[in-house]
Amino acid sequence: MSLKPKDEHDHAGWMKERELTAIEEIYLTALMWLDKRFRIVDYLEILENLYYKVNFQMPKSHTEQYNLDNKFWYWYPLYALGSFSTIAYVVAAISGALLGFYYAPGAGASNGEPALAYNSITFIMTELNFGFFLRSLHRWSAQVMVAAVFLHMLRVYFTGAYKEPRELNWLIGIVLISLTMVFGYTGYLLPWDQLAFWAGQIGVEMSLSIPLIGEWVAQLLFGGFTLSQATVQRMYTLHVFVLPFVVTGIIAVHIGIVWMQGIAEPH
Amino acid sequence: MSDTDSDSEEVRTDGTGIVPPDDETPSWQERKARHEGLSRLTYEYFERARREDQDLRQQSSYVERDVLAFPTWPHEMIRNLALVSFFVGMIIFLSAALPPHIGPPADSSSTPAIILPDWYLYWSFGLLKLGPLNPDISLLGGQKLMADRTYGVLANVVIVGFVAIVPFLNKGAARRPVEQPFWGAVGVSGIVFAFTIAVLSVKNLIQMDSHLLFDLTFLLPIVSAFLSYAVLRSMREGYMFNLNRRYYRLRPPK
Repeated sequence: MSLKPKDEHDHAGWMKERELTAIEEIYLTALMWLDKRFRIVDYLEILENLYYKVNFQMPKSHTEQYNLDNKFWYWYPLYALGSFSTIAYVVAAISGALLGFYYAPGAGASNGEPALAYNSITFIMTELNFGFFLRSLHRWSAQVMVAAVFLHMLRVYFTGAYKEPRELNWLIGIVLISLTMVFGYTGYLLPWDQLAFWAGQIGVEMSLSIPLIGEWVAQLLFGGFTLSQATVQRMYTLHVFVLPFVVTGIIAVHIGIVWMQGIAEPH
Repeated sequence: MSDTDSDSEEVRTDGTGIVPPDDETPSWQERKARHEGLSRLTYEYFERARREDQDLRQQSSYVERDVLAFPTWPHEMIRNLALVSFFVGMIIFLSAALPPHIGPPADSSSTPAIILPDWYLYWSFGLLKLGPLNPDISLLGGQKLMADRTYGVLANVVIVGFVAIVPFLNKGAARRPVEQPFWGAVGVSGIVFAFTIAVLSVKNLIQMDSHLLFDLTFLLPIVSAFLSYAVLRSMREGYMFNLNRRYYRLRPPK
């Protein structure tokens, strides 16, 4: 008996006792040579995973159950609504940061004379190169974001995607859609034209009519019970400082949960 | 302590102070397991959960749905990328073609005839005009319990609150509206109500008797709920028949 430890993984011997064609033999030899050096076997799982990700099919039962064989493509746009709103948000963030270089919040006396905020909007729209396009882009992407968010909610509702493991994400979505509307509202007030002023008036009255905490809310959000310089300044801070951080964070959590749980059936 | 330690033992910084693990040295698993309090509890729970998961998987005869969701990466992402780039193009086209209007500057002394928020807040604006629904309480001598505007703000809270608790009211495996006609009908009436209440919010612009408009605001959603319930219900018969037939053809009863 040899004292030499027996090689349990005698690949060469294993190769010999099998009857292999020349091609198989060359292939195996090359593979073993490479594997000995690069340990390909360690990466096989990754490769396999990659293969199945590229050649993915919906599980048979699912396509059978809902008879989706050739027709789930026409639901795709509805499943992209969440992405639309995210992309619109990114576009709005970029154009908004650029707008921030030229906009200054200032209400003046609100007596029909154009004030600082109004003047900077006028400057952006009429004098700044491509300023009209920048503001237009900001506004349209905001509109698209809100529309996409609403339709996204409807899609989630009508496909029952809010059910069992996803209730928390539905609640987060409610918070997000509300914050999106607050985003839109604070932005709506910033030009400080007539529409902005009177929308702000309604906002103050709404907050004042909240039971118990109404006055506190009006004071916090609008800086008083009548509209003034403080209102524009607070709206501006909410719009460009507070909300971006909060909303971006919550969007990250929302998408993170979708990523973890996968897209809800059915398609 | 640290003072006396540094006096008696010199701190070696060349790496020779590291003791190699022997039998006495706890493994990482033991280190993790030995924690106390909440972390210990978490550890025990995860161990249990892992065992439970494994047992369930072994016992399970549940073979027909082995994938419970559509993977986000890469399928959903790649597919969305194509659609999304088209829509970004559309945003750019719209903003080049239709720049926003600037109204006259703010003037607190002249109230404009039309005050409106952006379109997506019309529903909320409409809810502020629900004054006629605010009940007069006879005990208070026909007085209202709360101001109309408080009522309107609370209506917003009620609507959002209802939408938020939907997942806790509607449970079960059914996903499609055909499988759950009731919730389909609730959704349709919600959409219709969002539109009718938005129209109510601009009632001064609508050429219609305002009482009729107010009644329609609430009647139309109810009518549409009944209609969609009837349609979905009758669709369900055929749908479930097909579903069951396909199911039993694939997995004939033993």
